[in-house]
Amino acid sequence: VADDQITVDRVDSVAVVAMAGDHDVFTAPELRAAVNRPLERSNAVVVDLTNASFIDSSILAVLLGGLRRARETDVGFGLVLDRERTSAVLRILEVTGLVPVFPIHATVGEAVASAAAGENGDGGPRS
Amino acid sequence: MRLAMEASAENVPLARQAVTGFCEAAAVPRQVLDDTRLAVTEACTNVLVHAYLPDTAERPLEVEASIADGALELVVRDAGRGMGVFSDSGGLGLGIPLITALATSVSIRAGRGGRGTEVVMRFDTTGESSA
Repeated sequence: VADDQITVDRVDSVAVVAMAGDHDVFTAPELRAAVNRPLERSNAVVVDLTNASFIDSSILAVLLGGLRRARETDVGFGLVLDRERTSAVLRILEVTGLVPVFPIHATVGEAVASAAAGENGDGGPRS
Repeated sequence: MRLAMEASAENVPLARQAVTGFCEAAAVPRQVLDDTRLAVTEACTNVLVHAYLPDTAERPLEVEASIADGALELVVRDAGRGMGVFSDSGGLGLGIPLITALATSVSIRAGRGGRGTEVVMRFDTTGESSA
């Protein structure tokens, strides 16, 4: 489906991986490559889920893998998601109890600033 | 609605779209639809990852959806090696726990003739959720 896309932009030193549409085991390898490539170069990563309509546990596995790698190498990592808006993406994060695990920001700007400062939520969950 | 296909990554979105279309035609409420989309995706992914050994040529995956008495029933069926404890997936192991959290009830049983696995998920279409 043409609307299901993963695009990568660079904002300063931060890779912004934007997901649009539905994502699952079919697109998980593409997301894994998009997330891991910048992390391998110790560049911070922000995954923008604002326009994602669906993610499954295959995508959660990629996001958790990215977060772990970012923490191991001490680089920034964060998600962009409007937590005030009910969505299928928020739903899977809530059902799995993963909302406090990820640094979640309302806007790309906030997420980029946080990730550029090296923040990745390590040292404990935050609200 | 019944869909028979090969268990492959590109067919997982197709299975979800087919179930989405069925639910929308049946005017299933939005949150139930969202949970149904996730549950069927997880069940199909389980088939993809667990049901068949890599060298298996025939990899059937069937998805059925029906509504009766206010309950939506989804069946995801394979003809693979059956349920067991597999440590070879590299995934989070969240598929079945997610399905269990999302559906009103779930039963996992051996397929017809003892071959493969059937995951039967029921959802209350009145909008109540177990999670």
